Amino acid sequence: MVRIPFETHRLDNGLRVVLSRDPSVPVVAINLWYGVGSRNERPGRTGFAHLFEHMMFQGSAHVPETAHFALIEQAGGSLNGSTWLDRTNYFETLPAHYLELGLWLESDRMGWLLPAMTQEKLDNQRDVVKNERRWRVDNQPYGDWDERIQAMVYPPDHPYHHSVIGSMEDLDAATLEDVEAFFRTYYAPNNAVLTLCGEFDPAEARDLIERYFGEIPRGPEVPPLPGRTEIPPVIGEEVRQRVEQDISLPRLYLAYRIPPYGDDGFYAAAVASFVLAWGKASRLYRSLVRDRRLAQDVVAYAFPIVVGSAMLVLWSTARPGVEPGCLERAFLDEIEGLANVQDAEVERAIHLIETRRLIDLQRVDERADQLSMFTMLFDDPDRINTELDRIKAVTTADVRRFAERYLGADNRAVLWYVPRGQGGAA
Amino acid sequence: MSTVQRDRPPAPGPIRPLVFPTIERRRLDNDLAVLAARHGNLPLVTAMLVVDAGAAGDPARKAGLAKLTTDALETGTRTRSADQIAWELEHLGIEIDAAATWDAAILSVTAPRERLEAALELFADIVRHPAFPEAEVERLRDEQLATIMQNRKEPRALANDMAAHFIFAEGVPYGRPLIGTTASVQALTRDDVEAFYRTHYLPNASSLLFVGDIDADMAHGLADRHFGEWPAGQPTTAEFEVVPGVETRTIFIVDRPGSVQSEIRIGDIGVARHHEDYFPLLVMNTILGGAFTSRLNLSLRERHGFTYGARSGFAFRKRPGPFIVQVAVATEVTARAVEEALKEMAALRDEGATEQEVAAARDYLRGVLPLQLQTTEQLASRLADIVIFDLPDDYFQQYRQRIAEVSPEDVHRVARQHLRLDRLAIVIVGDAERIASSLEDLGLGAVVIHQDH
Repeated sequence: MVRIPFETHRLDNGLRVVLSRDPSVPVVAINLWYGVGSRNERPGRTGFAHLFEHMMFQGSAHVPETAHFALIEQAGGSLNGSTWLDRTNYFETLPAHYLELGLWLESDRMGWLLPAMTQEKLDNQRDVVKNERRWRVDNQPYGDWDERIQAMVYPPDHPYHHSVIGSMEDLDAATLEDVEAFFRTYYAPNNAVLTLCGEFDPAEARDLIERYFGEIPRGPEVPPLPGRTEIPPVIGEEVRQRVEQDISLPRLYLAYRIPPYGDDGFYAAAVASFVLAWGKASRLYRSLVRDRRLAQDVVAYAFPIVVGSAMLVLWSTARPGVEPGCLERAFLDEIEGLANVQDAEVERAIHLIETRRLIDLQRVDERADQLSMFTMLFDDPDRINTELDRIKAVTTADVRRFAERYLGADNRAVLWYVPRGQGGAA
Repeated sequence: MSTVQRDRPPAPGPIRPLVFPTIERRRLDNDLAVLAARHGNLPLVTAMLVVDAGAAGDPARKAGLAKLTTDALETGTRTRSADQIAWELEHLGIEIDAAATWDAAILSVTAPRERLEAALELFADIVRHPAFPEAEVERLRDEQLATIMQNRKEPRALANDMAAHFIFAEGVPYGRPLIGTTASVQALTRDDVEAFYRTHYLPNASSLLFVGDIDADMAHGLADRHFGEWPAGQPTTAEFEVVPGVETRTIFIVDRPGSVQSEIRIGDIGVARHHEDYFPLLVMNTILGGAFTSRLNLSLRERHGFTYGARSGFAFRKRPGPFIVQVAVATEVTARAVEEALKEMAALRDEGATEQEVAAARDYLRGVLPLQLQTTEQLASRLADIVIFDLPDDYFQQYRQRIAEVSPEDVHRVARQHLRLDRLAIVIVGDAERIASSLEDLGLGAVVIHQDH
């Protein structure tokens, strides 16, 4: 049983720190989670958390524009940031002797971002982000599925109703005042977790972190999420949408509300997703791809998100000539069939998850990100070690119960993409 | 508590020593090379079989055969059905990755150490005794055809395929999609797959790599038990010339009406992996478009806001693969983006790079190497390069030194020699009606519009 060691402490300003030493590698991963994501955006400002993330790379009071990327790349490091529904993370992996460089850069933008903000930088990154949206969503076959699925699974006043990338209109509306207000509200040490993983001297790291981050003032209490976070555990009806696009093959997306990440029910959903669609011995692959040749592919993914309900999304592309209704019926039959899932199938799913975890934990950046995540979401970094026990505890009866409770018609969002100009009865 | 100096970047601390794993080499009686490298501190092992059965060996008019063969290995053996193979592996928590590249077929499995023997038994069965059931081969062929169909509607894949098509002359394998064309794949049969397998899947044309929680003796024992009886044969090597598809700079617009972005590929023939300028080219490309702070990205993204990202790269293969600059830009700035990209290429060719840029690029390439060797799969892939390109076993011990030796003069020399701005195939997947005239106005060369693709 592999155990990731770590120690934690908290600075006076509220910054939570996780240190996980691994002297077997000559590198150190620095990872910061801020407790803000698209879920915190107010109406009219969708996409703002992500646009803001871009602004964090544009320099701060002591770091010139473009220096953030340049200094890390010159040090032989890699870096990035990402925005998701529940959080925004920033991370760099550096040769171990450049630890202090990373802490300097991260602390400067946590404490001194605003003096460096300009309208010109905002306009430039707004253009970059609009091109990111075109690239990911608008110019891409099936590219807007997550936007549509989120809007179908969550009611309009729920924080997950809109997508991370946001709308072009809202991106256009963002102002420098928004940047300032967002920074003051969410980018404070008391709303962040800092994790180091890799080679460092723990005493030296504690001292450096105190010196670089300790003088950043605590921010105000983070305001509650906008909108309604309590929603019924199921959608309550079947929601359906059909989209015509310039594509060659129809594709079906199915989505369900499931218990939030961290809940026992979520782990049952994760196991169910592996039983259904992970690997060539999964139910959907065997039936739809191999035996009946209705589908080109099958995918299932349980989104690890925490507000009210998470979601399970499955998709499948129809083989040429396969009528959408036929694929949908076959797909739903397999989901219904989950009610008789067998012990060996659950074992198989758990074994696959176990190996994947081991493979993922080889990377210091992945370990650091998980430690930040478990600290931010559950105030429990040790879940990096204990989560697997909860997955292994999922029984056949749990998966059956989960399927009966959550995978019925009353909790189903059905989204079809069909080639433009081809009627189809979806 | 002392405060810190924030006005300038802190100096680095003492550098930690970097120890690269040593490679231990053995050979089975059938000439299968066995390489082992201890790596990481988790109880995991990656086993990777590298077979000289890449897509460059696809017979003419049978493009896509190498890929179909690799995919079909898992669909049945003399004693197991496709379902049985999948079930037995996955019940162990294990999956096999099988893919054809241009230069090799690469099959790998990463398993917890205690399940390695069981995994390898299955792994060896599919490699050594594939049955290629007719129905399964047909199913995979039809899936491959459907993917080809999908790629025509997917602007990035379409741009990549069309770039290769125009960079290389008719008949050069690299000019075809690795996955094949509708015509070539439609004609593939089970017998083609079997014949390709018999010709290319030979122990004396393969290497078996073990990376992770394993030593050379254990690796050798596993290899011998599972692959020792694999009979050797007569290896063949693909022979072909790489010839450019254009003689003068040409802009090819692949019409995709309604596109809100243009997928741009600026391409030429690059160099083979063995080229003596390999290291200077790595440094030169890092300055041009190989990192975030490269010139192309700083110009097209950070200065102009035309794109989410711009990059460039050489595909180093056994023979000269493509060199490609790639960027997706808003439709209305297409011509300006092409102009800026060419301007950056011309500046590097004409003036070279500054001492400081070259130093930064060298430091980047030297520093990121250990970051790219964290997992057993990552290291195994690097060992695969050693095997495929016949590099010395101490290649990674030398790598950082070779990079350190690249001078600004070297960078300028290879930029002059390899950035041939007068012989580029510029391929743009976008809305022809909205971009063609502004591209013609650039006066960069003929503009050809392709409607059928």
